[in-house]
Amino acid sequence: MDRVRPHNLHRSPGAGALSLRRRDVVVAVILALALVIASDLKAAELHFVLLVHSQTSESELDRVFVTEAFLKKRTRWPSGEALRPVDQRREAVVRRHFSNDVLRRSVEAVRSYWQQRIFSGRDVPPPELDSDASVVRFVRETPGAIGYVSAPPNVQGVRVVTLK
Amino acid sequence: MTAESRTDYIYFAGMALGALTLVSSIARAQVPPEDPAARATAPPEEPPPEADGADATLRDTSALPPDRVVQVANAKPPAPDDDALPPESPSRGERLLDSLMPEFHGFVSQGFIKTTENNYLANSEQGSFEMTEVGLNLTKQLGDRLRVGMQLFMRDLGPIGNYKPQFDWAYIDYRFFDWLGIRAGRTKIPFGLYNEVNDIDAARVPILLPQSVYPTSNRDFLLAQTGGEVYGHIPLRPIGALQYRAYGGTIFIDETDSINNIEVPFVVGGRVMWETPLDGLRLGGTVQAVRLEFDNQIDPATLASLKEAGILTPDASEVIHFEFPVTMWIASVEYSAHDVLLAAEYSRWEASLTSSQPALAAPLSTVNERFYVMASMRAAPWFSPGVYYSYNAPDVADRSGVDGEQHDVAVTARYDVNDHWLVKLEGHYMHGTADLNPALNGGTPTAELAPDWGVFLVKTTAYF
Repeated sequence: MDRVRPHNLHRSPGAGALSLRRRDVVVAVILALALVIASDLKAAELHFVLLVHSQTSESELDRVFVTEAFLKKRTRWPSGEALRPVDQRREAVVRRHFSNDVLRRSVEAVRSYWQQRIFSGRDVPPPELDSDASVVRFVRETPGAIGYVSAPPNVQGVRVVTLK
Repeated sequence: MTAESRTDYIYFAGMALGALTLVSSIARAQVPPEDPAARATAPPEEPPPEADGADATLRDTSALPPDRVVQVANAKPPAPDDDALPPESPSRGERLLDSLMPEFHGFVSQGFIKTTENNYLANSEQGSFEMTEVGLNLTKQLGDRLRVGMQLFMRDLGPIGNYKPQFDWAYIDYRFFDWLGIRAGRTKIPFGLYNEVNDIDAARVPILLPQSVYPTSNRDFLLAQTGGEVYGHIPLRPIGALQYRAYGGTIFIDETDSINNIEVPFVVGGRVMWETPLDGLRLGGTVQAVRLEFDNQIDPATLASLKEAGILTPDASEVIHFEFPVTMWIASVEYSAHDVLLAAEYSRWEASLTSSQPALAAPLSTVNERFYVMASMRAAPWFSPGVYYSYNAPDVADRSGVDGEQHDVAVTARYDVNDHWLVKLEGHYMHGTADLNPALNGGTPTAELAPDWGVFLVKTTAYF
């Protein structure tokens, strides 16, 4: 079968329309990519601060690592110490930011994930605390803890880490 | 479709819509406009600092540009001030109590099923409330690696269950590493994506999972096994991660009047899921082999007549022994990110049946084909519609006749009234009778049942 070449298409009747459609597709793809990039940039505007216990050696963490820690797919730090994630209450705006930007799921989707785990006997979710201050306190007092708050804390005993 | 069945559809749809509207009105009346959960449905906007409970322990970020957390985190914090923490730390006694207390969860579900033709799962043609599930579980973490838990469960689904309590799962779990853990006891079977949540209404959108792959009437055979399991999560960066589970043991099945001495010498299987680098996309496969052995008692009169007719030898026993090995596999793909869920699974089950009296029960061998595609999305935190198409052919070698296959198109909606209560509505259009049970239909063979029929379900679940 003869291969259809671009210049043949331009010569054929309706080639202008075809070429226009192709251009439209290219424009649409570029727009879609731009939207994805814009969405990523928007996602990059994170409005939470990641905290770990002061004895944890990590100063920056990979997003996938944090996701796996909060979904309890990963239960240990690289040092072997137990990971102890702590969440904020479901209504907290900072939790919505954290869930969408790091876990890449809505708070409700994460809740659904935990319903599956709870009732199939797999695991239970991290504790949910009422405020930034409670999270700071938990992280400060719990070796291996990891949590997030809406602004950098003003106390000793916790370490602020960056997200890669 | 007859005029009568059309009337049934319209009547039921009207009732369902009315119920949803009523519940929706009540729930909205209960949610104040300033409720954060209600605000979550609004387009993203920057919250005021105090909205998250910011307090004296935290720096005010309102002056910071909305930049990456790296920049926020690298901003030099003010001098440490331990006194800034509010005095809300629990006492030693409270901490001890917390450390001793197990975590409790539970649910209770009540459903209603109505079919336009044929009885399905229950006496549904008349409409049936025989659709109840109750579960209560507790789990306790004992140290970093050891966990124990159990769930008591009872249900009623038409002729099945009858509120008999049983252990749904009860296990001891030790996780050596993230890539290796062991679990012993009664554990749920990880067949495909959703077998483990087949009876957990709160954990999914549809009332009925696609019945071709997750037949709820086979729950006793497929849901859990008693034995051991190894599992693990293996990071494979940059190509994602691998989750595996391998299990082996037995299944305890209740005897019936005619079938007794049921034994399952083994059930073995394994599931591997590849969590791809694309967030929320996972692919995998499950293989399971199970062997059932059981006896069927022939009543003395029938035995005598069979001997007289020369079908059975004079020394034939009144007990026929059956062996029923089944091999099942399923390929799964799921995309679950943000508020969208797309899933598809394809499965084949190969079964053979041999008996000690081939003259009465000739050897059988069949291969089923089962698959579905499903989509759902969370349109709002409180509302999730979904749709799926499911197909089942009990014998791939013969799909002829009305009972040679079953097509199921389902439309479903989940309404979360609050964090502990949900209501679901669901409608199915069915073509074919392969999944129907003659015993529920007055003994009528499946080939003679109505080929086109509808199912409507309403279900509500309270859980904590």
